[in-house]
Amino acid sequence: MLEIIKPGLETSIQDYPGRIGYWNQGFPPSGPMDNWSFRLANLLVGNKPGAAGLEAQYMGPTIIFHMDTVIALTGADMMAKVNGNSVPMWQSFLVKADDELVMGPAVSGARGYLAIAGGIDAPEWLGSRSTFHKAAVGGLDGHAIKKGQIIRIIEGSKGEDGNRVKLSSRPEFSSNKEWSIEAVAGPNDDWIDESGHRRFVETKWKLSAKSDRTGYRLEGPDWTFTEKATNKLPENGDFPSNIIDQGYPLGAINLGGQTPIILVNDGPSMGGFICPYTVPSVAFWKLGQAKPNEHFNFEVISVEEAQKRRKKLDSICSIESIESC
Amino acid sequence: MIYDEPKFLDGGDRYVLIEFGNEMNLDLNFIAQGLSTKIKENKVKGIIETAPCFASMLVHYEPDLISKGDLICELASMIESLGPTDSIELPSRLFYFETLYLDPWTKECIEDYNAKITEKEYDPDFVSRINNLEDSSQLVRVHSGTEYWVASLGFWPGLPFLQPLDPRSMITAPKYNPPRTWTPRGAIGMGGSASGIYPVATPGGYQLFGRIPMPIWDPDKRFDVFSGNIVLFRPGDRIKFVPCTKEEFDSAESKADEGTYNYNMVDYQKFSVKQYKSWIDSIDSSHRF
Repeated sequence: MLEIIKPGLETSIQDYPGRIGYWNQGFPPSGPMDNWSFRLANLLVGNKPGAAGLEAQYMGPTIIFHMDTVIALTGADMMAKVNGNSVPMWQSFLVKADDELVMGPAVSGARGYLAIAGGIDAPEWLGSRSTFHKAAVGGLDGHAIKKGQIIRIIEGSKGEDGNRVKLSSRPEFSSNKEWSIEAVAGPNDDWIDESGHRRFVETKWKLSAKSDRTGYRLEGPDWTFTEKATNKLPENGDFPSNIIDQGYPLGAINLGGQTPIILVNDGPSMGGFICPYTVPSVAFWKLGQAKPNEHFNFEVISVEEAQKRRKKLDSICSIESIESC
Repeated sequence: MIYDEPKFLDGGDRYVLIEFGNEMNLDLNFIAQGLSTKIKENKVKGIIETAPCFASMLVHYEPDLISKGDLICELASMIESLGPTDSIELPSRLFYFETLYLDPWTKECIEDYNAKITEKEYDPDFVSRINNLEDSSQLVRVHSGTEYWVASLGFWPGLPFLQPLDPRSMITAPKYNPPRTWTPRGAIGMGGSASGIYPVATPGGYQLFGRIPMPIWDPDKRFDVFSGNIVLFRPGDRIKFVPCTKEEFDSAESKADEGTYNYNMVDYQKFSVKQYKSWIDSIDSSHRF
């Protein structure tokens, strides 16, 4: 069991790939934003890559362990200490009963991950333990963890200490506050005119502070449209970016008025705004590690290229990337 | 218009959006739901899930199991095999809901909006006026005079987007601007030509004029009718709002609170697009109740 002494800013239980199969009823997948770091954390301690762990956002939690176990920390560096001593990231190590893990503010990246041997035990909601706090579903009580809560661990795994992630398999976080984010044109790219598309790739989009696990708002220039957006049936709505309600792909760059919002893990399943581009799954880990006021440059790639890069990422998030220290 | 050939639009590395047309037309939703049913029946390898909407359907696929090219071929041939919309038959459950129209809770919510956000006409009066209805009693008659079709779910998990199946009950209303910060659980409202029911208390933009007493959101799994799910509806369900008195509402609500409420749901019918259309052709759509 783990006891939460301090919850951190917003620390939540997540599993991967999350709550899949309920998009047509409005349930998003949830799950870890940076699934690269998350999957490796689990593999380090001998779990399946998708086992439930903790995602800490910007400021990590303080936790006391009530048993001996093996843990691993990946993702954002939160200067973690056990009983006051610094502990390594991207490695699995033993903790003893009564040890205190303190995770601080993220010094690189935004989200830190903690995997515990066996994985977190919490009720499954529609096949997943992932927290979706907007609808109070998943996790322990549908919300981020709170002070004083006890988190149970699935028993039966001794865990594997002394593993580390190969250097070549670790994600590299931006050091200059700029991120290159893949984007695929569509589904509604033909609503944007040529100069609109040009501005999309030429702009350094600023990630707004009004961003969370439902959507990443971007600040930048206005969009310009083709006739499709300006000359249409009234049921599409008044704004150029209004369209008859449609299903949204996860990762869609959704144009609410003039503000682009990337729909991420807890995002809405449908709505009445166009999505000129979609961020493919291979770039989600970067979204998870970008902080507000950092900048995005978009690299437009084909569907096939996005699928190729995803396959490569999946091969990195495998046991092949784990070695003994 | 309804396109001669559906459009397959890219949605990143694992989604394709199929657009069947660019207008609000129930036919397009029937095609989307017919295809969704067919995909389920055929268990197409690599298709993870589908989300039908008014005029389109999103397909979520696993590119390691099926290439985009093969997926589109497969989808196109299934759409082809659907034939004309007339031949589509969909499994469709029907829910009867006691409904208190012009209820005190949505009234309080509208008054709160007036006091705190901006002045607006009382929603039932406003919707009646812009639809050339005599008064809010006729609004109740018209709104409750039809079965509603669950075209899709979204905005909030379990929130149904409803279209009236009877064209004589077709009314429209603009959404709130700015939106409300809260809406009572179970409130019924409309925006555009769609009606909706709020599963829990959430912000919202629909014009409000009624409320149902029974949950459509069941996180504690208290009601068998949800069959283990948290949300009640699936695309292709139908809903009939049955106007009731305050006393009937209160009685249903207290049974719902106790967990003893019995949902009035029938599940033996198929929705035949052909029969539906021939019925539409037989009535005078301009007639109001």
